[in-house]
Amino acid sequence: MTRSIWIWLGALPAFACASLAQNADQGKPAPGNPAGSPADTREVAPGVPALGQANVADRAFIRAATLGGRAEVQFGKLAETKASSEAVKNFGRQMARDHGAATDRLFSLAGRLSVALPPDQLDPEHKILRSRLDAEDGIKFNKDYIDAQIGDHQKTAQLFEYEIGSGQDAQLKAFASDQLPVIFEHLRMARVLSDALAIQMMAAASPPQK
Amino acid sequence: MRSCSPTLSPLLGALLCAVGASAAPLPPDASYRPLPAAPFDQVKADDEAQKTEVMQRQRNLLEERFDLSDQPIPNILMSGGRKPVQGGVRVKLPTGLSWDSLANMSPDEIRERGVLPKGLMPLPHVKQATGGQVFPDEEIDEIARQEQRNLRRFDVDFDLPDQFTPEFPAPIFLTTHPELGDVSRGQLVTIKNYYELFVGILTPVQLEGMRLLLTPFPQEEFNQTEDRKSADQSLGVACLDCHANFHTNGAFHQTPDVRPQAARFRLDTVSLRGLFNQQIHGSKRSLRSVEDFTQFEQRTAYFNGDQVSAQRKGVNLPNRFDQVPMMAQMQNIIDFPPAPKLDPTGHLNPAKATPEELAGEQVFMGKGRCSSCHIPETAFMDNNMHDLQLERFYKVGQTQNGLVMLPDGPIKTLTLRGIKDSPPYLHDGRLLTLADTVEYFNLVLGLKLSQPEKDNLVAYLLTL
Repeated sequence: MTRSIWIWLGALPAFACASLAQNADQGKPAPGNPAGSPADTREVAPGVPALGQANVADRAFIRAATLGGRAEVQFGKLAETKASSEAVKNFGRQMARDHGAATDRLFSLAGRLSVALPPDQLDPEHKILRSRLDAEDGIKFNKDYIDAQIGDHQKTAQLFEYEIGSGQDAQLKAFASDQLPVIFEHLRMARVLSDALAIQMMAAASPPQK
Repeated sequence: MRSCSPTLSPLLGALLCAVGASAAPLPPDASYRPLPAAPFDQVKADDEAQKTEVMQRQRNLLEERFDLSDQPIPNILMSGGRKPVQGGVRVKLPTGLSWDSLANMSPDEIRERGVLPKGLMPLPHVKQATGGQVFPDEEIDEIARQEQRNLRRFDVDFDLPDQFTPEFPAPIFLTTHPELGDVSRGQLVTIKNYYELFVGILTPVQLEGMRLLLTPFPQEEFNQTEDRKSADQSLGVACLDCHANFHTNGAFHQTPDVRPQAARFRLDTVSLRGLFNQQIHGSKRSLRSVEDFTQFEQRTAYFNGDQVSAQRKGVNLPNRFDQVPMMAQMQNIIDFPPAPKLDPTGHLNPAKATPEELAGEQVFMGKGRCSSCHIPETAFMDNNMHDLQLERFYKVGQTQNGLVMLPDGPIKTLTLRGIKDSPPYLHDGRLLTLADTVEYFNLVLGLKLSQPEKDNLVAYLLTL
C-alpha cells in the first residue's frame, strides 16, 4: 500500500500537468528577468541561459532545499518509528518517501550544475528540534513533530516559489514547479493532523468525568 | 552560523538557541529586490531579443483560455460613446463539458478532475519574473505625442486585444458639476493640457491635486538607474498614466503585498470613479482613505511594496498635510457616469427599464445573491473584503507562465456602477466580459442560474 501511495504521489504533478497540457509552453519554465543572470552567463538564444549554469538564486535554493529535504527524511523516519498515532506514523513514512525521492532528483540536478552540496548534517535549527523531539514521546511528540512540519513546509513552499521566480537553470526551475503542488498537499495534511492532535491533547488533559 | 556552545548553562543555552541564533531564514532576495547582476546594455539586449517569444507565449496562454474574437453587443456603447462593449462568454470550456455540467459538479470533483476552466484561474503577468507596470499602446502613443515621454518597455508589451480594454480617452464626470456631463472634451488629460482644460471649472486645491497626479515620478521600471525597463533614463510614471482621465486604461501591474515574485498576482487598474464613497482602498490592504493610498503608493515606487528599492531610484514623498490632501480632493470629486435607468437609491426605475433588465435585477437581488456584497444603495459596494475561495476548485501550487496558482485570499468588493466601462473584470482582469463574470460567480457561489437568468443579469449589469 505504501508503494502505491508513493507512485500516486509521484504521479500527482503529472495529473495536475495533464489537465493543463494543451498549451505546449507549459512544459518549459517561463522566461526569467535577464537582470538576474550574471554578465558571463552563456546563452543558447539571447536572454535564454544555457543549461548547466546556476545563478545566485539557484545556489541558495539548492543549499536550502538540500538541508530541508534531508531533515524531512530524517524526521519522517523518526516519526515513523516513534509516533504514538498511526496517522502520524503514516505521515512520517510519506514524508520520508516523498522528500527522499525529491532530494535524490535535486542531488543529480546539483551535480549537473557543479554546485557542491552542504555537509550531510542537520542545520542548527533542526538540531535543536531533534534534541527536543528525542526527549518527548506520546501525544507531545506527535504534536511537536507535526507543528514543526507545518513551519518547514511553509518555508519550503516559499523557497520553491523563489526558485521559480528568481532561478536561472531551466531544469531546476522545472523541478521546483513540479514539486510545489506536492509541498502544498503535505502542508494541508499537516494542518489537518495538527488540528486533530490539538483536540486529542485537550481530551487527554481533562480529567474524566466521574 | 555559530552553533550553541556546550559550555553555556543549559537554561541560558536553551534561551539563546531558541531565539533566532539558529534560525535558517529564506534568502533575502525572496523579499527584497536584488540589484541587477548584469550591466544594463546586456539586460536590455537580452530583453529585446526575447520580447517576441515572451509575447507569443502569453498570447498562446490567452488563446488557450479565451475566445478573443471581436463580438460587440449591438446598440450599446461605453459611457463616452466611443467604444462598444464586448459580449458573450469567452472563457473556454474543457472538452466534453458545459457550463451546466460544471455547475452540477461539486468543487471537490472539479478540483480532483482538474476541469476548472483555465480562464477562471489567476491570470499571469505577461512576464511574471520581471512584472511591473505595462501600459496599453493607446496610452503610450498619446503620452508620447503630448509630452514626448516614453512609456514603452523594451521587454514587454500590453497583452490583451484592444477590444477588451476601456474606451480611450475615457469621459470625466465631476460630482461638483453634474450639469456639465463629460468634461474631458475627448482628450487625454496630461500635464500639458490640464490647466487650460480645467481652470474655471476646478478650485485651486483641485488644480494642484491634478497637477501632482499628472507629474511623473521615478518608478520601478521607469527611472534613471540601470534597474529599469525603459530605453532612456526615464522621468518616471504619473498616477494618471494608468488611471487615465481618472478612470482606467487597462494597464496592469502586480500586487505589492505578496512575495516571492512567482506568487505575485496580476492587478488590473481600477477606476477612480466613485472614490468618494469608498472606505477601503487597494485590493488587499484596505487602506482607509485615498490620502493614505496616494501617499503610500508614492513611497513604494508604485505598487511594489519595496521602500528600499524606491529609495534608491528616487522616491517622491509628497507631504501628508498639504500635497497629499490636494491630490485626494481631486480624486474624490470624480463621479460615476450617468445611469439614467437607475433611481437615486440605485434601483431600476420600472418606467425606464426593459423586462429583461428588471428580471436581471430580480436575479441580482435574489437568487444571484450579488447584492449581498454589491449593495445598490451604497454604490454597489459594501466597503468590505471577501474571500471567494476559488481554490476549492483547483489544486494549489501549479505554475502557469511563471505565476504560481495560489488562493487569492480576501479581495475588496469593487463597485459595479459604470461597470460596462471598465473591462476586464476581477482584480487581475481574468474575466474579459460581463457574461464571463456571471459564469464565474455562478460557479463560485453555487447559484445554478438558468441561461435566461444569466442573460437577464448581464442586461441588468449594462444599465448600472
